[in-house]
Amino acid sequence: MLKQGRWAIAAVSMLLGIMLVGQYKMTQSIAESNIHLQRTGDLARELTAAEKEGDELRQQLEKIQKGDASASVVSDINLLKQRAGLTDVTGPGVIITINDSKIPVKDNENPNLYLIHDEDLLRVLNELRAGGAEAIAVNDQRLTGTSEVRCAGPTVMVNGKVFGPPFVIKAIGDPKTLSAALTMRGGVVESLKYWGIELKIQEVDQMIVPAFNGTFKEDHLKVVKQGGDKK
Amino acid sequence: MMYLFIVGGLVVGIIIGVMSPLEIPPVYAKYTSVALLAALDSVFGGTRAALERIFNLSIFLTGFFSNSLLAALLVFLGNFVGIDLYYVALISFGLRLFQNTAAIRRLLLSRRTK
Repeated sequence: MLKQGRWAIAAVSMLLGIMLVGQYKMTQSIAESNIHLQRTGDLARELTAAEKEGDELRQQLEKIQKGDASASVVSDINLLKQRAGLTDVTGPGVIITINDSKIPVKDNENPNLYLIHDEDLLRVLNELRAGGAEAIAVNDQRLTGTSEVRCAGPTVMVNGKVFGPPFVIKAIGDPKTLSAALTMRGGVVESLKYWGIELKIQEVDQMIVPAFNGTFKEDHLKVVKQGGDKK
Repeated sequence: MMYLFIVGGLVVGIIIGVMSPLEIPPVYAKYTSVALLAALDSVFGGTRAALERIFNLSIFLTGFFSNSLLAALLVFLGNFVGIDLYYVALISFGLRLFQNTAAIRRLLLSRRTK
């Protein structure tokens, strides 16, 4: 039995060896081409490259604008940029820090009431604007005419960027007026305090509100030619 | 003497596998892994049979090939009807593998003590 058998057994062991190596090679190649990981890495790299390119182009644009335009046009442009929120600005104002409530939620009460929502932020921002704030930034995202403040799951999205608490709102304006606008009786601070939401107002003489650094979309709008004076 | 043939065959097979440009596409990973497990099970079963002095070459050879092919085929067919036989094959062959190795260990020990 063993005489003719051993060659067959050797052949079978050889086959087993080939199969083992084949399987090993395949497992290795699967581990190497871990598609998901590779994809995130690629995307992250692309993002940094695109951001870099955007910065460079913005600098180029600035340079061209400086070089070509005459002095009065340049000052006009600078004024408009400042009004559109495209320049860092500095001045006195208030820094408001808002954080989620630390009060333990009672039974059969909605825990949402103890969290900050986009609506709360919007009420604060609205009050600041009504109080004459000249430049506002939420977590260093400058608010422009097209900025959104919106719920994005458990976080809030500002200028397309997502933030979780704490939220830091910087507003340039008269510090006394701004803090008074927020803390007035029956005002926004009082109603937020009721739910234990932590809100701290700090009046400062000097602070910087950063420029808007996103992009403007103009897919749909067209400029209307104005024949005469504005109405 | 017998072990020399087994180990020799295994080494030659590994060398052939490393040298050859043979690459199994990852799509077939499930089938080949089941087939490999079945083949390993047959080899351990054969070793056990040899130790028990009931080794039969034709049973060993047919077992080796038909077990591997059948396992792969059943997994393949299971895909069509939505039954993941892959895990069933893994568990059944894996269990048998451990049973066989345990039996081999016991046989070797009892032989030594005799």
